[in-house]
Amino acid sequence: MKPPPFEYVVPDTLEEALEILAERRSEAKPLAGGQSLVPTMNFRLSEPGLLVDLRRIENLAGIRGTEDGGLEIGAMTLQADAERSPLVAERTPLLAEALPWVAHAQIRNRGTVGGSLAHADPAAELPAVALALGARVETCRAGGRSRWIDAETLWPGMFATAIEPEELLTRIRFPPAAPGSGFAFRELARRSGDFALVGVAAVVRLDEDGRCGMARITLLSVADRPLVANEGAKVLIGRIPTPAVIVEAARAVAARDVDPPSDIHASAAYRRHLCQTLTRRALTAAFDRGGDRPGHAGPRWRAGGW
Amino acid sequence: MSGDDRADGGARSVGRDVPRNEDRLLLTGRALFVDDVEPTGTLHAAFVRSDWAHGRLRGVDVTAARAHPGVVAAWTAEDLGDYWAPGPLLVSPPPIERLEFHARTQVPLAKDKVRHVGEPIAVVIAESRYLAEDAAALVEVDVDPLPAVVDLEAGLEPGAPLVHDDLESNLSARVVQERGDWEAARAQADLLLARRLRYDRGAAAAIENRGIVAEWDARAGEMTIWDTTQAPIPIRNGLARMLGLSEGRVRVVAPFIGGGFGPKIMMFYPEEVVIPWAAMTLGRPVKWIEDRRENFFATTQERLQIHDAEIALSADGRILGVKDRFLHDVGAYDPYGLTVPINSQCTLLGPYDVPAYHSEFLAVFTNKTIVSPVRGAGRQHGVFVMERLLDLAARELGIDRVEIRRRNFLPPDAFPHDNNVIYQDFAPLVYDSGNYRPALEKAVERIGWKEWRRPEMRRGEGGRRRGIGIVNYVEGTGIGPYEGARVTVETGGRVRVVTGVGTQGQGHFTSFAQIAADALGVDPADVDVVTGDTREFHWGTGTFASRSMVVAGNAVHAAASKVREKAVERAAAELGVEEEAIELADGRAFVRGEPACGIGLGELAVKANPLRGAVRGGSEPGLEASGYFGPERGATASGVHACVVEVDTETMDVEIVRYLVVHDCGRIVNPAIVEGQIQGGVAMGIGNAFYEMLVHDESGQLLNASFMDYLLPTADVVPRIETAHFETPSPLNPLGVKGVGEAGAIPVAAAFAQALEDALAPIAPGLEIREIPLKPSRLWELVEAARARAGGEAP
Amino acid sequence: MRLEGEFTFHAPREAVWEALLDPAVIAQAIPGAERLDRVDEDRYEGTMKVGVGPVSGRYELRVRIEEKEPPERYSMRIDGKGALGHASGTAEVELADEDGGTRMTYVSDLAIGGRIAGVGQRMLDTVARSMTQRGLESLEREIERRTSGS
Repeated sequence: MKPPPFEYVVPDTLEEALEILAERRSEAKPLAGGQSLVPTMNFRLSEPGLLVDLRRIENLAGIRGTEDGGLEIGAMTLQADAERSPLVAERTPLLAEALPWVAHAQIRNRGTVGGSLAHADPAAELPAVALALGARVETCRAGGRSRWIDAETLWPGMFATAIEPEELLTRIRFPPAAPGSGFAFRELARRSGDFALVGVAAVVRLDEDGRCGMARITLLSVADRPLVANEGAKVLIGRIPTPAVIVEAARAVAARDVDPPSDIHASAAYRRHLCQTLTRRALTAAFDRGGDRPGHAGPRWRAGGW
Repeated sequence: MSGDDRADGGARSVGRDVPRNEDRLLLTGRALFVDDVEPTGTLHAAFVRSDWAHGRLRGVDVTAARAHPGVVAAWTAEDLGDYWAPGPLLVSPPPIERLEFHARTQVPLAKDKVRHVGEPIAVVIAESRYLAEDAAALVEVDVDPLPAVVDLEAGLEPGAPLVHDDLESNLSARVVQERGDWEAARAQADLLLARRLRYDRGAAAAIENRGIVAEWDARAGEMTIWDTTQAPIPIRNGLARMLGLSEGRVRVVAPFIGGGFGPKIMMFYPEEVVIPWAAMTLGRPVKWIEDRRENFFATTQERLQIHDAEIALSADGRILGVKDRFLHDVGAYDPYGLTVPINSQCTLLGPYDVPAYHSEFLAVFTNKTIVSPVRGAGRQHGVFVMERLLDLAARELGIDRVEIRRRNFLPPDAFPHDNNVIYQDFAPLVYDSGNYRPALEKAVERIGWKEWRRPEMRRGEGGRRRGIGIVNYVEGTGIGPYEGARVTVETGGRVRVVTGVGTQGQGHFTSFAQIAADALGVDPADVDVVTGDTREFHWGTGTFASRSMVVAGNAVHAAASKVREKAVERAAAELGVEEEAIELADGRAFVRGEPACGIGLGELAVKANPLRGAVRGGSEPGLEASGYFGPERGATASGVHACVVEVDTETMDVEIVRYLVVHDCGRIVNPAIVEGQIQGGVAMGIGNAFYEMLVHDESGQLLNASFMDYLLPTADVVPRIETAHFETPSPLNPLGVKGVGEAGAIPVAAAFAQALEDALAPIAPGLEIREIPLKPSRLWELVEAARARAGGEAP
Repeated sequence: MRLEGEFTFHAPREAVWEALLDPAVIAQAIPGAERLDRVDEDRYEGTMKVGVGPVSGRYELRVRIEEKEPPERYSMRIDGKGALGHASGTAEVELADEDGGTRMTYVSDLAIGGRIAGVGQRMLDTVARSMTQRGLESLEREIERRTSGS
């Protein structure tokens, strides 16, 4: 398990990194925390000719609130720093709830928020959360050019993104939470830190009349990319989220939104069953926290909470 | 152990939690492991392995690899010339009538045919492991794939592809053992239950993979080999023979080893055979360290058996007889003989009185990694089958699960108890001692079995359901043939204990030290234990079958007792008193009642090795002696495991809430070490029960060859293990000890399955767990099927 | 690894049949195909590069068409080999008319071996399904281009 030969550079500035990427686009691979890339290299599943290590570039890490009440996270921000950030907990509590589910503490100490989004693992928590929250990412390329990509269009397939080889993901922006909104993240993994068998992120908003004004349900580990469950959300809109309505929505997710894969850990039928169960649990918790009821329980290791 | 075996007056260390002598080295990172060994000029090897489970090897082209920068050699089977030969048969079949056994052992590099994924085909030796791996990727292997033998039943069908072309079938062995009259038992039975039970394959997954470094000293004509082996002496003897060297010119060192669990036994693995030859041929040290990916294919594994078992009982739940026929997966080769299936066959009987037993097994060659013992070594299967049958019988007969076990225990006056079947040590399986009922009652009390009938005990948080399981096991441990030790009091007063067994984390540096310390009246911290270096000691076999403390421990005791005699004799002469008046304590010999009148052991050692003057005729110099111990047969350990599980009845996620082990391993030398063995064993058993399964597809490919997909139990899924000890000393050895290394791992799956059924009974009536390992996805399928059979009742 | 499914082409059955056996069309459709040559009537050889995120490798591909019943069904023997492993097995394809278009039913059973089989299970099923879908969609576009162009 030794990687094949590769070149390695550590640029000091973003512009320098972008120039290298522009020049060597087909063979270069940005290295953030290396928690996914390096193992694939050691397995010789991946043979990039050049690693561009981003760790020395200033200003790529950091968490700050935006004026509209949202949040901005630099791509090289460690997952562990985001996990411990009071600002993340306050402004994007869904992200705070999902972060402890990202691999192990040791991996979060090296892994970055941007790295996870750019790696685009369909079993990863952060893309599903970014999708549920309607996040956008900024990418830059040499010559000072940048653009914003919606999470909705960021992931076209497995381990694939809309980011061009000569671009770098630099920041992520989360919009402010709407008043009356509630959220929840539920996941089942075999052991703490394992890839999810299925995970669900839910964001809902209760209108003043107690009806569901907005619902966004995303799932991980059920498709080749994080999935938005539109059919399930449709069931909820305009209705009072009684347990029966929530079950109806969860059933819609399992029946119409997902077509999960089978693998050695879980059959497709079991995954579909989990989609329903975890969606129901996530929605129940999200509606519980929505409306006027503030606060949330801490994250849990196991998919508890009925 | 009688009172006169220990130092009078001195504090006894046996039976106490003596801190481990080895921990200082281990915790400060100064312990030497094989990968730390890198003599100047070392070359590194990488093996090219088969990507196919089964196929004809049409050609291997190493031309490009040889031309790669930094490559010193690239060899195929042809290049090994006369050195190429199948490995030795390590364990010949035991003397059982009508036994059929076909030995086919592994080869150094595949020739003509590949028989499992990961089988070595070529070796590349280069200036670094990186270069060796780069070049290995350039070796062209031309394989003509053949259909693979994966499923055991299909493998025995006429016309199945043959793993070994020169055999008529894939049958490796067939053994029948019986006692009593099963047919008569069957005819008398009030209840007959027949079930198919399956126990699947897992990896030992030691934290340290295998490794070997060989250094050939051409001038001295000596070969030194550092090897992650549990059995350095047999490896030395075997390699000397293969390399054409005298045994004295080969030194095998097994330094600190990060876990053995069985697969590091004297396998004569292909790499173990090729690397010393490479060092000799190239005249430079050669090193190979197995990586984790290789470990999943190239290091032996265990566990797949399919049992068709039947039990006959009377209406009051007494066992009249058991019939079992099982298939055992041996993998591509069977160098380890019949050890594992014989253990399954024998261990099934457990602590119970089984008047009639008919057991037949068929061992089957498959296109999978070789099977050899892995912690438990087949005993798991026997316990699982018997305990499952008893659970189902209890359910059918309406008898409490604990009560049916009580009714079938061998009584305390039944010992020694001859089971009339032949065990892995070739001797009849005779239980030396045991007292099963008190351990079960202790477990019943500690786990709260009686309170368990209350419904509130069965409800967990958020609609989860709880269930309880309680099972028994008996384990044959501490088998022969023998081990030896040499104990020396050095002139500085420290004691040196040398033994031939290897050590892989069991705490031998402390437990052996305690035994010698007590005999000589010194502090265990003043005893240096040396193990696993054939230059230091070259008689013995190795560490396996929960035998080190029983066999090597008693050898240390024998040697230390001889040294004690010498010390007492010399001290008496020096101090001018009778030998009976001498006491040994605190590192001194002194006159009883007059502690000031004495002499240090180190000084005695100096006097025992004089530089001038005459010595008494017939005396041996120094305070040193060797001792050996060979038990007549194995010592029988036993115990009870009980657990409480909590199941999320929607996701089928299972949490083990409590786990209790009540066990009897005879006299305990170091309770903390025993607890550690139990804790680690149970963790391994939990892996077997719910996390670890090697999954193969129809073409024999292993589908989870990394820790991403092969799930070892981690700290969050292993509860704190509660333990209680009983000590029924073994009458078969002076220390009265029994083995404990494997006990923790053996009955876990049986306890887990019972507890799961108990938890899920209200929502899935009739659910039967007949396979291990489970996972939430599979458990959900079983529950859904049970629900459908029960008429689709809602939870 | 077993894959089965259905796909509807908006083209007549003969056109679909022809396209399915035309290496030029297939090379367009297989994601990552670099080259596909017809060696003789029923045998094809080529290379393809499959990249899934950081995991990528080049494969040599051999395909033999068997049991051809134009324009209804055929089966294929597929053998692929590359640095990350190998795949071999069969695929069966059936075509039927449906509302002016053609419905294709396919079943493939591939034995995957080598490195990717041991460590890539988490992605194999998903990748195979999405590659098949992408391949069929581009095949549909290619057929459409050809039929509208002719």
